[in-house]
Amino acid sequence: MADNTSKKGTILIADDTDINRELLADMLEDEYNILEAVNGTEALELIMKHKTNISLVLLDIVMPEKDGFEVLGTMNAHHLTTKIPVIIISAEAASPYIERGYKLGAVDYITRPFSKSAVRHRIITTITAYSEKAALQKKVYEQIVSRERNDTLMVSVLANVVEFRNGESGLHVLHVNTITEILLRHLMMLYPKYHFTASQISAICTASSIHDIGKIAVPEEILNKPGKLTDSEFAIMKSHSEAGAAMIASVKGYEQEPMMKYAYEICRWHHERWDGSGYPDGISGDEIPIYVQAVSMADVYDALTSARVYKDAYDHKTAVRMIKEGECGSFNPELLHCFTLCEDRIEENMKETSIYDSIKRRSEDAIQESMYEESSFAEF
Amino acid sequence: MNLTECYEILGGSLEDTTGRLASEKNVYKFLNMFLNDGSYNLLTDSLESGNADEAFRAAHSLKGVCLNLGLGNLFKSSNEFTDALRAGSIPDDYKAYYDKVTADYDSAVNAIKQLDPVE
Repeated sequence: MADNTSKKGTILIADDTDINRELLADMLEDEYNILEAVNGTEALELIMKHKTNISLVLLDIVMPEKDGFEVLGTMNAHHLTTKIPVIIISAEAASPYIERGYKLGAVDYITRPFSKSAVRHRIITTITAYSEKAALQKKVYEQIVSRERNDTLMVSVLANVVEFRNGESGLHVLHVNTITEILLRHLMMLYPKYHFTASQISAICTASSIHDIGKIAVPEEILNKPGKLTDSEFAIMKSHSEAGAAMIASVKGYEQEPMMKYAYEICRWHHERWDGSGYPDGISGDEIPIYVQAVSMADVYDALTSARVYKDAYDHKTAVRMIKEGECGSFNPELLHCFTLCEDRIEENMKETSIYDSIKRRSEDAIQESMYEESSFAEF
Repeated sequence: MNLTECYEILGGSLEDTTGRLASEKNVYKFLNMFLNDGSYNLLTDSLESGNADEAFRAAHSLKGVCLNLGLGNLFKSSNEFTDALRAGSIPDDYKAYYDKVTADYDSAVNAIKQLDPVE
């Protein structure tokens, strides 16, 4: 490939017949860099190597080693046909061939004999459409990131106000956020009955930031008392979950927003326990929404591994052991199993110090998810 | 021999082929490339070794090249042979198809070899 940056892009021509490749290369090489493959295996190697640096693939179907359908199938499995357009070029005008090509994700089908002007025109149209689509996706991604940043900004300020008053570091909110996300994603992988979309996860994690918002109704002397709380002080301390839920419920005009529901339930129930021993309502088992259970576990883990006025920080291993052994109340066995599987990942992620890392990650997930939903992939 | 005379022997339209390939110079260039195309030899070899898949691919390639270059006679016989090989085995009556392809191939190669250069 002559690496000429003044050209409009790179086209991969996959055809086992020299003269066919030459015919196409001759039509296109003034405007495009050309890569050539003499069979399906070579074509896939080049595709995996250059990925989206390839602007378009011209694909013959009947080839040795791997045929064109196999190339399309593998591209599909790697979600590449949505990123790199494939035009099939074949002497087969039979409709089952064409149908199969389209089903596997080809955008266009050119039958022999073809003319120079028609091939050029269809290639330019296809490349333009794909690059516009890619540009649009980038814009949507940027908007999601920026919207998420704005959404999270005020929530973060609010959460920090609460933490500041508690004498906690601003990292607690970030940690609860991150651990909740890791737990939810693992739960979904392990148990198909739990399903959250990327935007639901995003809303839950944002809502988790204000789980302790009710603490602003708790007097500072109690909040920051280094010694053991008296029974009546502890009762006031415990009132923060109901107080927080009441604050959320009193916000008017957003009743239909899923995030308000998440925030209400997280504030109210993040101290409930699986066996019903928690507060304020003493609900148990599946009565506690699974995402609230995840926030509870995240809250407990981070409280254990952080220093507080009344305690030193435990190390990761000790905290994990204490949670597993039920020293911080009972948890859902499924959630505990999940926690065991991802505890290394949690420890690793505690080094993240910016909420924007997780916003970016979640925005990418949202884009990927919406892309896969709209494209239907053929079964193999 | 000029291109017009050649295309009479090939059984195709020079006008259409020139239209697709943009110039007579290109037609001349690709016809000469056809002399080095291995599809026909591959077809012969794979029939000898009894490799039906490879015979199908070779006949199919030959047919495709003929379509692009406007080699009408050879397209017709290689297309019929391609369809006969499509089932994945070499048919008992393959010889008749193969002889027809060979006759058209030899005639095309002969005509192309006698072409006057096109500048």
